Amino acid sequence: MGTEPKGLAALPSPRAVANKSDKRRLLEAIRMALEIQSPAVRRNTQTFNRNRYKATAALPDYDALKDHARQIKEDAIARLPELIEQIRETVASRGGHVFLAVTAEEACRYVRDTCVHHGARLIVKGKSITSEEIHLNRVLEAAGIEVAESDLAEFILQVADEQPSHIIAPALHYSRERITALFKRKFQTDLPLDTGEELTKFAREILRQKFLHADIGITGANLLAADTGTMMLVESEGNIRMTSLLPPVHIAVAGVEKIIPTRREMAVFLELLAASGTGQKLTSYTSFLSPPLNDPPFALPGKPRKTREFHLVLIDNGRMRMRDDAVFRETLYCIRCSACLNSCANFETVGGHAFGGETYSGGIGGSWEAGTGKLENAGFSELCSGCSRCVNQCPVRVDVPWLNENLRSRLNHAAGPSALSTTLEALCSAPEQDAQAPAGKIFFGNYHWFAEWGSRFAWAANALTNTGAARSAMERWLGVDRRRVLPPFPKRTLVEAALRLNTQTGVSVPRETREPAARAALFADVFTNYGLPERGLATLRVLRAMNVDVVVSDSLPEGRAALSQGLLTSASEYARKAAAHLEHFLEGGRAIIVVEPSSLAMFRRDARHLLENAEQFERLCSSAFEPVEYVTRLLAAFHRTAKEFFDVSQSPVGKRLFYHSHCQQKTIGCDAPTETLLRNLGFDVATSSVECCGMAGSFGYKKDFYELSMAVGEDLFQQVRAADEGGEPRALVASGTSCTEQLHAGLGRRVIHPIELLAAILREPVAALD
Amino acid sequence: MPDLLATFEGNAREAAADVFQVGGSAAEIHSEVQRLAEGSKSIVLGLGEFIARTVVEELRQIPNVIAEPSDEQLSAASVGVSDAFAGVASSGSVCIAMGPPLVAAASLLMPLHIVLLPANRIVARPRDVFDPACLGGEGLRRNLVFITGPSATADMGPLVRGVHGPHRLQILILRDGDGY
Repeated sequence: MGTEPKGLAALPSPRAVANKSDKRRLLEAIRMALEIQSPAVRRNTQTFNRNRYKATAALPDYDALKDHARQIKEDAIARLPELIEQIRETVASRGGHVFLAVTAEEACRYVRDTCVHHGARLIVKGKSITSEEIHLNRVLEAAGIEVAESDLAEFILQVADEQPSHIIAPALHYSRERITALFKRKFQTDLPLDTGEELTKFAREILRQKFLHADIGITGANLLAADTGTMMLVESEGNIRMTSLLPPVHIAVAGVEKIIPTRREMAVFLELLAASGTGQKLTSYTSFLSPPLNDPPFALPGKPRKTREFHLVLIDNGRMRMRDDAVFRETLYCIRCSACLNSCANFETVGGHAFGGETYSGGIGGSWEAGTGKLENAGFSELCSGCSRCVNQCPVRVDVPWLNENLRSRLNHAAGPSALSTTLEALCSAPEQDAQAPAGKIFFGNYHWFAEWGSRFAWAANALTNTGAARSAMERWLGVDRRRVLPPFPKRTLVEAALRLNTQTGVSVPRETREPAARAALFADVFTNYGLPERGLATLRVLRAMNVDVVVSDSLPEGRAALSQGLLTSASEYARKAAAHLEHFLEGGRAIIVVEPSSLAMFRRDARHLLENAEQFERLCSSAFEPVEYVTRLLAAFHRTAKEFFDVSQSPVGKRLFYHSHCQQKTIGCDAPTETLLRNLGFDVATSSVECCGMAGSFGYKKDFYELSMAVGEDLFQQVRAADEGGEPRALVASGTSCTEQLHAGLGRRVIHPIELLAAILREPVAALD
Repeated sequence: MPDLLATFEGNAREAAADVFQVGGSAAEIHSEVQRLAEGSKSIVLGLGEFIARTVVEELRQIPNVIAEPSDEQLSAASVGVSDAFAGVASSGSVCIAMGPPLVAAASLLMPLHIVLLPANRIVARPRDVFDPACLGGEGLRRNLVFITGPSATADMGPLVRGVHGPHRLQILILRDGDGY
């Protein structure tokens, strides 16, 4: 166990902070996880994460499989009532029993009654997170029945009395050393138990006896086929096979969403689930069983040999309600692979006891907890920073951040407005519907308003914001952590500075009389305009030097900040206004250039949920580019090389670089152009492999999450330090505004944007494109 | 076919299975299984569907094979021998079709699991087993288990091979001859 820092309250047990309906428990759980669980969680999730990237890359038809899997699940959920009826009939025709439980209590009662009916004294269980959801063990134990969890992770949790912290590896927060300590304490044994082998042998010997003597076996199911009643069971230890084979009675508990139409369609999920989960080609055992089995059940001497019996307990417990919800229906497509947990930097740092509820955890966990329980139980979904790294990892293409933004919106409404939030909302004329949100969320979601006023009176705002009194007030009322340095407002915003460059906003004034090679409009996103205008100016300089006719748009919010706070009405309104403004430029044949990746990702990804029509989204999505991505496209279109325009020898920061691309930039696939261009120019480029820097927009500024944000960042800082070895420290290059702040906070070094570097090494005179 | 075989071998080894090839004659299979099971006190045969009768008869002659094991003997046996319904090249898996007595037990309960895999039953990818045109469409009807390496866990910290299921998986590929 971790040692406790002096001066802090004792750390809570995982169970005590499992339910996150009270925010204090979330904060306590984060503290506990950072203190005790973080190293094991990080090692194990990052191993899964690396292996998943490798395994999915090795699947030749990965994208087609994902499309197919998504289509099967959409079809299945659409036809769910019909499929439930069909599987009832198929299982019954094979001699099995099917029970559809509307509530968790009904499900538990049915299982308990079946066990009591058979006079069962010992039940052996395979891992089933659904049985955790309905709290089945408590009910069985209350009836005097012994329940032996046979999955080693569940065995550990049963011994420790803890909830799962991960959907496929529920005890992944335990290091080997902590398991040894736990077993020695609980089993009072003198055995050394100092290796994974010894611990496994110890548990195996206990559990082998349970398998042989069990009266009933209970398993979950990964998928169910309506046409044949086949269940797909995925595992590595062999315990699920034992559980379904040896005892005479087999009870399978499964959420109704596990049903797909046909057994043949299970083939689509076979490799996809293994690759997305543990990152294997297949796990040790994937069974396809249509129980009851033909094999006679196991009977040791003295025990009567019974005939086999099979019960399938289908669980609704909120799922049909989720099915009726236009947003949360998508949760039911989830095949519980854990990819969204393992690809999440916050989850990798604290795991599912902090980033999770009583049963479900991680990005998708909030939707499951809210759907199968109460909305308030999804409070931990606040730990989804919207970095979107999970989006491309989901085998059924669930937009996990969108689900969490919707949870946040509903939680905001459930909380009700405060006087401060109403005032703030009125001040920045945000849509009234969002006034329900806490003040801090309104502040972060309408940052553009504060930034605009701040930069109008930059001298005063800059003098004021970093005073102790102001920071203390901001921390108290808005939740902005005082340890974060607030970036100063610039003397001139991007729009003002661009005007001074003799370019009128929104009006095309060709710099020269010759025909431009291309036309573009630089979107003056809030973060660049009010925070880092030099990045926008560098973009103008590079593009104009390449003979691109480029103008600057008005600065207006595109809705990213509001979306991240769950202010959906505001986000929608802002996105629509920004899209309408940009529409003029698109009509004039201009590409849209966006410096801040999170703003770009709004146009390329999130806006599909917010804009009124799909055509408008498609137009914007296909015409919006990251600056270096756009430069790369121009070079390719004109068959020119980067070296004709840029000269590495002029680099003001040397040739050794460390490039960190932004999380959302990676998701929309525009990190590679920068890496490639810099390398082609002759830079020595080291890159980060972290999913996110931990700042993730406003996330790291929040008082509640400062420690977590810095702990996530530490991974990145270490990678920089490691890459520095063997030479001069590398110049830090980052594309995101918040990553820049985070790198600066962690390493105290200057960070530049790749386009600033390109602007600094432009060849003069430039051989413009034509 | 040779490509499938080589791919299968590589992937099965990567999944920590041992792979051997043998000509398909009953005598050769007998001696190879006997060699692999050497030193074992009790051997359980759960096979007969996908290899020739003659081979099964021959294997019954191996010393320490328990002809009709009781459940108590099953729980204490040291080697299980199965014949595979299919092999999967891309994952190095063997696919066991359950149904006949002892097949499920022989592929699960003993520390050492020996699988006889006729080379002509190797398919390219797991999903092929669910193709009605493949292996007579039997993959869509039977109770199946895809076995990929020995049982394993990472729950106790480092990766440990050998948990509730077999600790070692040995695959004997039957190249040709009267084995099938």
